[in-house]
This record gives sequence, structure tokens and C-alpha cells, in this order.
Amino acid sequence: MVRKFLAIVLVLLVVAVFGAVKISVLCSPDNADALKWLAGEFMKQNPDIQVEIVPLSWEVLYPKLLQDLRSQAGSFEAFTYDVMTTGAVSFGLEDLGEFMKKYASLLPADFDIDDFIPQVLEESGKWQGKLIGLPFYNNTMLFYYRRDLFEDPKLKQAFKEKYGRELTLPVTWEEVKEIAEFFTKKFNKNSPTEYGIALMFPRTHTLFYMYLLFFGEYRNAPLGIMKHGAADLEYGEYFTADHKPAFNSEEGLKALEMMKKLMPYSPDPLGSDYGETIEYFNQGLVAMVPQWTGPYLIFKSTIGTDKVGIIPMPGRSVSGQWALAINKFIPEDKKVAAFKFITFATSKWADKQKFLRFAVAPARMSTLKDPEVRAADPRVPALEVTYVSQTHRPRIPEEPRLEDITVETFSKILAGTLPLSMDTLNDLAKKWQEVLGK
Amino acid sequence: MKNKRLVPWLMVLPVLVLFLSMTIYPFAFMIWSSFRQYDLSKGAETRFIGLANYFQIFSDSTAIESFKFTAKLLAVAVPTELLLGIGIAFLIRGVRGEKIIRSSLLVPMMVPAAVSGVAWKMLYNYAFGPVNWFLSLFGISKISWLGDMNYAQLGIILIDVWQWTPFVFLMIYAGLQSVPQDLIDAARVDGADWGRVFLHVEFPLLRPLILVALVLRIIDCLKTFDIVFMTTWGGPGAATHTYSFYVYKVGISFGWNIGYASALSVLLLLVSMLLVNIVFRLVRMRQQLGFGGEER
Amino acid sequence: MKVILRVLRYIVIATCLIFFLFPVYWLVITAFKPSNEWFTWPPRFWPTQLTFSNFLGAKETEVFGGTTGSIENIFPYLRNSIVVGISVSLIATVISASAAYAIARYKVGGAFLAEWIISIRMLPPIVSAVPLYVIFSRLRLINTWWALILSHLVIVVPLGVWLLISFFREIPREIDEAAYVDGASTFQTFFYVIFPLSAPGLAAVAVLSLIQSWGEFLLALVLTNDARAQTLPIFLGRYITGWRVAWGPLSAAGIVTMLPVVVFAILAQRYLIRGLTFGAVKG
Repeated sequence: MVRKFLAIVLVLLVVAVFGAVKISVLCSPDNADALKWLAGEFMKQNPDIQVEIVPLSWEVLYPKLLQDLRSQAGSFEAFTYDVMTTGAVSFGLEDLGEFMKKYASLLPADFDIDDFIPQVLEESGKWQGKLIGLPFYNNTMLFYYRRDLFEDPKLKQAFKEKYGRELTLPVTWEEVKEIAEFFTKKFNKNSPTEYGIALMFPRTHTLFYMYLLFFGEYRNAPLGIMKHGAADLEYGEYFTADHKPAFNSEEGLKALEMMKKLMPYSPDPLGSDYGETIEYFNQGLVAMVPQWTGPYLIFKSTIGTDKVGIIPMPGRSVSGQWALAINKFIPEDKKVAAFKFITFATSKWADKQKFLRFAVAPARMSTLKDPEVRAADPRVPALEVTYVSQTHRPRIPEEPRLEDITVETFSKILAGTLPLSMDTLNDLAKKWQEVLGK
Repeated sequence: MKNKRLVPWLMVLPVLVLFLSMTIYPFAFMIWSSFRQYDLSKGAETRFIGLANYFQIFSDSTAIESFKFTAKLLAVAVPTELLLGIGIAFLIRGVRGEKIIRSSLLVPMMVPAAVSGVAWKMLYNYAFGPVNWFLSLFGISKISWLGDMNYAQLGIILIDVWQWTPFVFLMIYAGLQSVPQDLIDAARVDGADWGRVFLHVEFPLLRPLILVALVLRIIDCLKTFDIVFMTTWGGPGAATHTYSFYVYKVGISFGWNIGYASALSVLLLLVSMLLVNIVFRLVRMRQQLGFGGEER
Repeated sequence: MKVILRVLRYIVIATCLIFFLFPVYWLVITAFKPSNEWFTWPPRFWPTQLTFSNFLGAKETEVFGGTTGSIENIFPYLRNSIVVGISVSLIATVISASAAYAIARYKVGGAFLAEWIISIRMLPPIVSAVPLYVIFSRLRLINTWWALILSHLVIVVPLGVWLLISFFREIPREIDEAAYVDGASTFQTFFYVIFPLSAPGLAAVAVLSLIQSWGEFLLALVLTNDARAQTLPIFLGRYITGWRVAWGPLSAAGIVTMLPVVVFAILAQRYLIRGLTFGAVKG
């Protein structure tokens, strides 16, 4: 009897293993743990589908994806992609809108597409009118500060004496500059921290984001909007409303000037990337740092929740979203399996769970409104504000290349080997036109 | 008799097949695509565009800067490695604990470059790195090893020296082991001091070996990639772009511009061939390999 | 005077040792430090609380997850590195030796062939990375061990042939001839007479090939996709994320990446020293 039972179980197992549709999902290491956990939950509910998560570091992920899609090799059924590469990889992504019509019954019960934050769905999901991705990692930049220092009565008193105003949370970069000076030992020997603010202006893509934090403040101010027009989600704030470079302007110059002005209050801004600035803040070397949503976990565990404050970025934040999509060049049954998985991984339930368990920033309004989520995480109020006011990188196919030439020029300006002048920015704009083929 | 001629060919056959299959196609592909617009971020199709890719190089300031930095690396790192390697080989000869010292000194050449990039990135950390701590003992204020143009270049050169001096050291040390002791003894009997023995006995014997080390270092130096990839990412500006790193960025990282990357590669290949040809002559490669010249 | 010179010599040697060993030492101790000690001022030159959590994962793993919290996923990569490294090392040694012997003894192909083989070494990997990707994807070899073995062979064989040509030329011809007189064929002579005599040279080629293949980064980056074929140097990238650089686990993975090859090469260094002379020193 027992033997017979075991035999049946064995047969069932064999069927499950060999009959299963196998899909592999390429992702950046940032999301690997959340996706692995979601894949486990998914397979419990769908034993006929096997999901394998393949983490690959950021620098390698985009070229790998592009090559795989161009050669139509189909090595990965689904993948997360950085939204700035949307235009470049869009040709290889399945039209999810069509898919949803065709397989409406496959959608999870709590998959309400109108529940996604509209701007996020637009940026993460849509390309030229089609739905090609689902918002997975709604990353953005927040401004972290040492609450204990900002609330210290003695420091507040000293600040007021020195600057003639209260030590308040900064709203503009000009205010940040004053506070950063106050918290830098070199300029104020009573400062509790060595430096005021940790900034990262390295040679990597980071600098392309960082510039928008500053440029956004001037570019999206009323006067900036009047001159350049409102930015759209395809071209982003780097461009004017009629898709010409917007940075070779007074606003663009002002942003770089501000970045340069802040550098004396920052430890090694040109040699630091995310990893370094996290450590500077972590070790109490600085009083403020702009960072992504994720490092909060680190700050929480080392500095403590009561000492870390979070506010929306002075100036503007910048979105760093990642979306989930399906490879167009794979057989239909694999597409269906991949579709089941990515809708599962972006459902209401998953959106909340991945935020609570893995701090993967939420993309749904229901998650932001959820009382349990709000009680658990102090980032939510800042996130809510940020998601509707943040700036955006271009998503056009030429983005990666524009990014590289821009970072090189900005890096040289900040290092002082190129003059900080309109001519330099005009030269860069000329290079942009060459890349854009206009 | 026929067998006598065939067998040696059979013996080189595996290498021959490997190289023909693995290099002829890439080589032809590279030449072919260097004349075409071939850019995966724009499409999988290609189009003949003549010499446009080659002309582009001359107006590409990043390409020129990366060429300059690679030249600097060649001019500074390689001689330093040779001098240090030779110096250390002589220095530790006959010292107490020679074997342990020797083994220890060899470690860096075995450490994968990606790992040494990680280690050095921690060492170079501006605020917490041991390098700046060490310098602070001498009253030197903190240096931005990854964020200052000059120091970043020096930083990359230092890593290269760290990684490759052991290789040069090993070759010279190996060579010294096979210098016949009787020659040295004879010189000593004739009253030569340490310096003279080195100049008149050891150095002439080691000369060919030093040149081989030089060739190998030149070749490998032109390929420097992983250290930059793991530490500075070519910055600040384009200061630490090595040529290989730049070709990687063009050809792969920023959207597979295969056509232009091929043109850049052709140039790199021409330069390395020219350089190595000169050095081959210098070391009299043919004689070394037993062709031409007198048979020893 | 002599005493001063001797002291000076030891000081210089000590400085060199510190310079060449310290980076490795730093990597090793970082791997055993808890996260709050990775970066401190002044730096901690020995960990005050020894921890294995960077290897095994610990409480931190619950916060940061297994991908960056430990090295629990390293084994397939270690396996790939071992398979690729050892295959490259063995195949390279055998085919380099056979080619080098034919060239050294029979002048096959003349100087042209010899120089051509050696000059392949000049081909920077970046030059062949893209075309190799194209061929291998046509042959469906992308993301397999073979893609790496074949492409690594191209890098290591030229040096092996070069080294062994010089090495074989050191072995007196009379030895071959004696074997022929005894009725041995060319192959037999090669395998039973020359091979054993050139053990140090062969070992040197094997070790150098292993070191190069093990540490190769660029081609592995381009030609592989996932745990099925990726090697250890590529594995390291996952600890550098947009929100955290996990220096401790990264260092732990670094140790796993370098330890096998360092131990192996140190054990075999005797051969390296006897085999790496390129036949260049002549009395």
C-alpha cells in the first residue's frame, strides 16, 4: 500500500518536473531576493511552471539583454530592465496590452492595472502607446539626514546665531549649502560631523542621475518651464518640450554651479559612488545624504530609526525605476508562463509584500495607502510626494550613449579640466545632436 | 620518409586548427564590420559606410585620451615593474627566509584582477582607506585616489605595478637560478665585487630574459581592462580610460556599436603589432626560437 | 658599514613584503569583519569581533537577503571556474607541448609559423570578444564551458608554445636521436623521452595557463549568461548594487575566487622557477 502510494507520488513528481514549463528571469542584483521569494510563492501556486531567477550586475545587464533580443536567441523569458533603456530594448518586448486582452482570465484576482501610480505606469510600462512592461521596482531618490543633529537644541541655537535663521529641513539646494557648511568641521570647528553632506559625482551613470537632482529644481521652476516647456516621460528633463537639449541654458549652468559649490562640504565627491556615500553617512562622517530608497535598511540597522530622518529631495528627485517584461522572441507557452509570473509579481499582494519584506519600493497606490505599510515604514510620506514631482531620465533608444558622453563632460567640469561655461555645454549639446542624428 | 614530414605537422595541427578557427573569423569579421554601420542599439542590419568609422576616431576625444593613458601606463608602469622585479630578485637572493619571502612576493600575480580591483578600491577609500591612513602618519592630508585626475592615474598605475612586478620578479629570479655558479665564482676569484659581477656576468646573461619579460608586459599592458572596470570606471572625466576599456564601452557596454568598435580594434591591433614587431627585433626573436642565425 | 647595509636590505625587503601582501591581507580580514567595521577611521588592522556571517549569512541576511548577504550561491561558479581552469590548463599544456616540439625539432612552418603563433598573444581579448560572441551564438555555445575553454586557450597557448620552444631547445638532440636508434617513433620519443624530461616546463605552462584562465574577466563577461557557465570573477559583480556595496561578502567571495589558484600556484612554484627561464640564460 505504502509502496503503491510512493510510486504514485513519484510518477506525479516526474510529471511535475518534466511537464513543467521552465522560464528564467534576468534581473539586477538589487531585486534578486524579492524575485526569488516571489518565484517560490508563485511555484507553490503553479507547480507546472518553474521559475529561475538570474541576477546580473547592472553594467552587464543592459548589453546582455540588448544582444539577446537582437539575436532573438531567447535565453531569458522575462527580465527586469532599467526604464532608461526602454527605447533601446522596446523592439524585443511583448505587447502586454494585447496579451491581457487575449488571456484576461490569467490575470491574478487582485491585479488592478488602474491601481498603479499613473506616472509610474506610464514611465515603467508604456512605450509609444503600447504597454510593454509592468512597474516592479519603483525606485527614487530620497534625502536622508541625521535627525538627532537637526533637533539638537545647542546646534539649533548655534545655527541661528551664525545664519540668522532657524535650522529647518532644507527645501532648496541653497538651503542645503548653508546647512552643509554648518556641519563641516573645516568651516565650523564645533560641527559634530566632519562633513555636511555626502555627494556622489563619479564617472559612472550615477552622475547622470545626480545632475537631475539639481537641474530639476531650476528646469522645472515656473521660469524654467516657461523657457523649456514641460518635460515628457519619453525624453525627460534633459530635453525641452520640443525634444532639443535643455541643459545648455542658464538653468543647466546653474545646476553645475550649485554642484560645484557643494563639493567643499562633501568627502571626495568625485571619487565616491553609492557604496561610499552610504558608508560616509553610516559611520557618522556626514549629516546629510541623497540616496535611493534601499539604503534605509542599512541606516536603520546601524544608526537607528530615531536618528535617521527622511524627507523628499530638496530641488527635485529622480526616478530610477525598473520594470518587468516578457521576451517577444519565445514560444507562446513560455510567454504565457512568463505572463503569469510577471502579473503575479506585480499584483497588489506582491507589491505590498515585496516592500514590507525586501524594501522594494512600491508602485501601487493601494500599497502607499495601506495602514500596515504606513505604520511599518517612515519612507512612505516622502515617497508619495516624490513619485509625482520627480524628474526623469530620457527613455529614448540613444539614452545609454547620451549618458556616457554627458557624464564625461560633467565629470571634467566638476574636476576643473573643462571650464564651467555655456560653451562647454553647447559643445555637449552638439555631441548630443550627433548621437541623435539630427 | 613521408611519415617523417607528416608527423611534425600532425603535432602542430591542434594548435593550428584552434587558432585558425578562433582567430581568422574574428579577424575577418572585425575588418568587415569596421567598414560598416553595425550598431545593435539601432538594429541588427548593417550597411557599408566606407572609412567613416575610421575617420570618427580622429575626432573622438575619448578615444584619443584613452590612447594617451594607455601610452602612459606603458611608459610608466612597465619600466617600473621591470626595475622593481629585477631589483627584488637580486635583493632577496641568499637572504634568510628566501623561500618564504619568494613565495609571498608571488601572490599578487595569482590574484585574479577582478579581486585585486576590489581590494584596492577598499584601500583607496578616501575617508576610511588604509592608504590615506598610512599617509596621514606622515602628515599628508587625505588624497582622492579615485576622484582626482592625476592621483586616479597614479592609482591605476600602482595597482598594475602591484599585480605584475611579481611576474617580472619570478622570471628574473628563475633566470638567476640558472646562472652557473662557477662563472660567478670565477669572477669573484678575479677580485670582482658584487657590482661588477652583476654588470659583467649576470646582467649580460639575463639580458634576453629581461627582454622577454618586456615583450610580455607590453603585450599584456595594452589589454588592461578589469582593474579599471572594477575601480575608477575610467574616471574622472576620461583620465583612466584604457584603450581596451574604451573599446569595451563602445562595442558592448553602451549598446554594441560593433562597427565603430571594430575600427578602434583594428587600430589597436596595428599599434600592438608595430610595437611588438620592434621588440621582437630587439630580442632577436627568431634566433631565440631557433630560426636563422647560428644554431647553438 | 656592512651592518648598516644589511639592516637596510632587510628594511627594503620588509617594505616590499608589506606592499605586495597588504592588499591581500586587507581583503582577507574584511571578509571576517562585521559590517560596522568594514570602514572605520582609523582603519581596524585586525578584526575585533571575528565573524563568519559574510560567508554563511546571518541575521543580516534576513535584512539584506541572500544575494548580497552571504556567499551561499557561489558553488556553481566555483565549479565552472574549476572545470574551465583545469580543462584549459590540461589542453593547453598538451597542445602547446606538441606544437612546440614540432617547431623546435623539425622547424615546421619555419619562423613564420612560430612567430604567428606567438603573435596571437597580441590580440587583445576585447578585439575578439564581439566576433566570438557572434560565432558562439551561431554554434549555440554561448553560456557553455566550451565557449570559455576555447577562447581561453587562444589566450594561453601562445605563451605556452613560446616557453616550451625555448625549453625543448635546451634538451640535447642526442637524447632524441638515441631514442630513434632504439626504434622509437616521433610520437613515442615525444611522449616517453621528451615529456618526462621537460616536466618543469610543462608544469610551468600548466600553472600559468590556470592562473590566466582563472582570472580572465572580459570574455567570461561577454560569453556567459548565468550560473551554468559563469566563472568566479563575474560572480563578484552582484555584491555591488544600486543600494548597497556588500564589502564583507564581496571580500569573502574574493577569497574563494583567489584561494584555489594561489594555493595551487604556491605549491607548484618550484616548477615555475625551473620552467620559466625561456631558455634565455646560457652559460
